[in-house]
Amino acid sequence: MSAVEPLISVRNLRIEFNTERGVVRAIDDVSFDILPGETLGVVGESGCGKSVTSLAILGLIPSPPGRIVSGSIRLQGRELVGLPEAEYRRVRGREISMIFQEPMTALNPVFTVGSQMVDVLVRHKQLTRKQARQVAIDMLAKVGIPSPEKRIDEYPHQLSGGMRQRVMIAMALSCGPKLLLADEPTTALDVTTQAQVMEEIVQLQEEFGTAVVLVTHDLGVVAETCQRAVVMYCGKVIEEADIETLFHHPKHPYTRGLMDSIPRIREQKKAELPTIPGTVPDLLHLPNGCRFVDRCFQAQERCCQAEPALERQADGSQVACFYPLEAGA
Amino acid sequence: MEMLQYTLRKLITGIPLVLGVTLISFVLMVYFGPDKTYDLLGKNPTPEEIAQVRHQLGYDQPFVVRYLDYLRELVTLDFGYSDSSGERVGSILKRTIPVSLAVILPGFILGNLLGVVLALVAAYHRGGWIDKLIMAGSVVGMSVSFLIVIIAFQVIFSSSYGLNWFPVLGWDVYSFWDYLRYVTVPTLASVFVALGYNTRFYRAVIVEEMGRDHVRTARAYGASPAELLFKSILKNSLIPIITRIMFSIPLVVVSGSLLIESYFGIPGVGKVAFDAITTGDQPILKAVVGLTAVLFVVVLIINDILYKVVDPRVSLK
Repeated sequence: MSAVEPLISVRNLRIEFNTERGVVRAIDDVSFDILPGETLGVVGESGCGKSVTSLAILGLIPSPPGRIVSGSIRLQGRELVGLPEAEYRRVRGREISMIFQEPMTALNPVFTVGSQMVDVLVRHKQLTRKQARQVAIDMLAKVGIPSPEKRIDEYPHQLSGGMRQRVMIAMALSCGPKLLLADEPTTALDVTTQAQVMEEIVQLQEEFGTAVVLVTHDLGVVAETCQRAVVMYCGKVIEEADIETLFHHPKHPYTRGLMDSIPRIREQKKAELPTIPGTVPDLLHLPNGCRFVDRCFQAQERCCQAEPALERQADGSQVACFYPLEAGA
Repeated sequence: MEMLQYTLRKLITGIPLVLGVTLISFVLMVYFGPDKTYDLLGKNPTPEEIAQVRHQLGYDQPFVVRYLDYLRELVTLDFGYSDSSGERVGSILKRTIPVSLAVILPGFILGNLLGVVLALVAAYHRGGWIDKLIMAGSVVGMSVSFLIVIIAFQVIFSSSYGLNWFPVLGWDVYSFWDYLRYVTVPTLASVFVALGYNTRFYRAVIVEEMGRDHVRTARAYGASPAELLFKSILKNSLIPIITRIMFSIPLVVVSGSLLIESYFGIPGVGKVAFDAITTGDQPILKAVVGLTAVLFVVVLIINDILYKVVDPRVSLK
């Protein structure tokens, strides 16, 4: 890729979950890099392993039933897989922090937002509670919460969904992390609030120079905010490219299908929004060969026999398909 | 200020509740209770004698007057004289209630405290062998009858067949040392029994709380297991825990002390109530049942107030 040292590099990550019906491999041989300060979109349908990947980076895979079988996650060269809990705790919230999909339940209902933010700051920054409170107030002001010195003593239930998500963002960035994992940060919000909250994230990211991983199924948000995106399907990365290339020239038939199914205002209304036929296969009963073979419009004999590996293309993107789509196809 | 109003409002809503429970206990126990007329009369009484005794006992009064009389007794804590000993019921209670509290409280507090701690430990290691061990222990505690536990502990700790460290019966307390000697075995027995139920219940509450999103958030921000358990999770689990503790108070006070005191020969209110039931000593029963009902209502009100203290989402309105 480029000469820039990646902030996070995930290599050949495999995560399995024990379920009642058998062992599910939720993440299968996933590799990607996150560069310092960039915004990386992770795109895919529900259950494709987007959230599991971000939880794995924080070492929060619930275990049991889940476990990292093999692979490595490096933070600036430092191996995170197998890191002792006590050391991992110093990474969480300080070097890598995370905001979650549900602002309604992600904050503790019986503590004020201030005390939750102060806890994090005191834990990681060696501040007194008084100093930490001032930092927290400043952070709340930065994410656009009006009269933060009053809001800081309120409980989560006294704030609206958008406000709560802003509090989460303030908390996430308060210790100046190098990476912010945002797992569907706007999905649970109103459309107007969504735009505002995304705006806050982008603005603060530029100010703090934080890298952001935006896990989402909203391709519109990805197109607007990310420089690069990784497309996941059934626990695998199937395409990885910069945004321009991905949107204008998707190479994997699945990515192409995703792009085509974005509703947009066209000159002539199509009779029906194109969709990808079929459904995501059960992770316990994956087809032989390519995981997308049953739903692919150009599947060939070879696709049923072998699984295509992620291969670099001439334009620098990577795709896992034997027959990548040509430009303009 | 808001809190004070809330408390007052809760107290006011408690009034009809007190009236309700006292009315029911009055109807069942006093109005339709045993008729003492013929106990006080000789053989072949004349109708005049009967009428006179009934008048003395107040049986000829209308229902409302008798109920109000009962309420007055409850409010003034003046229940007249015991039928069997002739002592004032008020002074019996004054003598025995402190003894009962001294016997019951250590076991009650320890049973709940240990229950919460064991539940936290079990929940944190859920699925592991520590969890299984604690849960197995709690099943044993739940399955063995209180009576068996009392007798077994008396044999183990207070008889020449066992350790013989503590007196088996009585309550000769003049110093703190005496107190420890007499309170230890009853406390062990009640902790043993309470712990099973408490641990199981608290563990279920805590496990549910552990799965919540905010716990994951706290973990994602580097909270240590101790912070998670004793701060994030425990404070959120407090409402069901407080409810259980508060609602068990009247039961522990009445049935717990009844068994313990009669088996260990401790002159507490439970023993007095037990004797009153067997001898039909109505003034004492009236006092015990009426005061227990009132205690229930008071506990209910305190419970509501504690909810508000613990959970900011409980509305003051």
